[in-house]
Amino acid sequence: MTDFARPGDSVVEPLNRPKIVRLHPFGLDGARTGPISLATAVLLLAAWFLVTHYRLVPPLFLPTPQEVATQFLAIVEDGYAGATLWEHVSASLFRIFSAAVIAASLGIPLGLAMGLNRWAKGVFDTPIEFYWPLPPLAYLPLMIIWLGIGEVSKIVLLTLAMFAPVCLSAQAGVRALPIERVNAALSLGAGRWQLFRAIVLPSALPEILTGLRIGIGVGWSTLVAAELIAATRGIGFMIMSASHFLATDVVFVGIGIIAAFAFAFSYGMRLLEAWLVPWKGKS
Amino acid sequence: MLQVRNASVFFSARDGRVVHALDRASLDIDANSIVVALGASGCGKSTLLNAIAGFLPLSEGSITLDGQPVGSPGADRGVVFQKDTLLPWSSVADNVALGLRFAGVPARERRERAEELLGLVGLESFADAFPHELSGGMRQRVGIARALATDPKILLMDEPFGALDSLTREQMQELLIDVWARTGKRIFFITHSIEEALFLGTTVVVMSPRPGRIVARFDLDFVRRFAAERDVRAILSAPEFAELYDEIRSLVHRPHAETDTPRKVLQ
Ligand SMILES: Nc1ncnc2c1ncn2[C@@H]1O[C@H](COP(=O)(O)OP(=O)(O)O)[C@@H](O)[C@H]1O
Ligand SMILES: [Mg+2]
Repeated sequence: MTDFARPGDSVVEPLNRPKIVRLHPFGLDGARTGPISLATAVLLLAAWFLVTHYRLVPPLFLPTPQEVATQFLAIVEDGYAGATLWEHVSASLFRIFSAAVIAASLGIPLGLAMGLNRWAKGVFDTPIEFYWPLPPLAYLPLMIIWLGIGEVSKIVLLTLAMFAPVCLSAQAGVRALPIERVNAALSLGAGRWQLFRAIVLPSALPEILTGLRIGIGVGWSTLVAAELIAATRGIGFMIMSASHFLATDVVFVGIGIIAAFAFAFSYGMRLLEAWLVPWKGKS
Repeated sequence: MLQVRNASVFFSARDGRVVHALDRASLDIDANSIVVALGASGCGKSTLLNAIAGFLPLSEGSITLDGQPVGSPGADRGVVFQKDTLLPWSSVADNVALGLRFAGVPARERRERAEELLGLVGLESFADAFPHELSGGMRQRVGIARALATDPKILLMDEPFGALDSLTREQMQELLIDVWARTGKRIFFITHSIEEALFLGTTVVVMSPRPGRIVARFDLDFVRRFAAERDVRAILSAPEFAELYDEIRSLVHRPHAETDTPRKVLQ
């Protein structure tokens, strides 16, 4: 092999393509799971249909897929509890996004500082390690007592839930920085700020993006708790309110909407990662 | 001139004992010379280089570059590491120009200088490639170009070709000699290969472990001969080469004296 070979140099003509082989894999090794997942989804739906069709479960516990679909269309058309579906969705999106922006703009710098500075680490480690394993429902009453029942307490609750994963991953990003890379930059004349800007930050970026993805996921799963606080709008509110009237079909609609948004955001974050850190996992 | 005087380094090992990694090493690196430190692993070669680069303070002794004591790392000492330290998110040209960016050189000038240096190491057509698209040898060439970009007074190289296959390694040695002949940079080069040391060094210092010491020093002219005649075979088959090879081999493999024998300094 010559030193000058570029990737793609020895591509074979497609016409006389030889039999392609590869090493026997172990574990998953990138095997395709898409069709299997799709089949599973279809099976689950079919099972749901059959179980409700033959009344194996009382409709109060499990509505039929048709009922859920009808209810969804009704909510799209008429709204729920005096607000349109879009008003519910946008109320939830606004809370999640405000919280994500606050959590990122506090968590990323603080996490980086904690990875770099003894004092930052020493001061903030204890409170963060103390609060972050707590379930948000546990400090929800405190949020209400301290901050009232307006938007602030909801957004602060979501922010607290998202902050820890973002902050911890930024720290992990700094810790994973190889010392040789730092030394190389120093011997190229990097100043402190240049070192941070050109080396530390981009090196930590993959971890930071992972932390954001996890943080937003945690945000969605905390949404219902946040909207327990005297809300009149929001998907979480819709679910809680429907459950009081045993409107199981509306609960299902709400769950479906949250799942769809959470999935879409997670997917969007992956695209963002592929675009911002294309080098991740290479060399 | 780079002067190392009675440099000693003590580390604390994990069990609390003290490791004497470098013992009173003295070394001069003059203009236009390649000083090669040769020795088995653990004899303090990297320790010496790290101290010169400014990554590590000395326990005792001093290091001066053109009369000035060396302190923290800086662009006057270019470093090439064994493990490549290119930035995976930057193109080859941007990697080469990193030091120029730190120095505030405008983008156009950086690009020109990077292309010039890539030409020097035979990678002119790879300016816009990314590090993960290059082979190990090519990445080390980018590393050399990057270290040269800030026009350092000395190039420090810690087993830069140690991870390469032997064929690529030979190409890289010749490339390094070309770069040296053209730029006239002085070079401090670390290796554990006797042949590499003999081929590259205008001076070879042999080191031995526990404590890390310079035990012998040889002044050679094979590299100048190669730069002038470009005949590898003539050099490798020269009787002096074989003689020195054997002499150094016996030094390197000598069961190192536990007793504090006075240092044997040849030539
Ligand atoms: N940071 C360190 N802490 C403790 N001991 C070290 C450290 N770095 C190197 N040493 C020890 O110092 C000695 C010399 O190391 P080094 O300079 O890396 O040798 P070489 O590069 O010649 O292989 C070795 O015994 C090594 O274990
Ligand atoms: Mg070493």
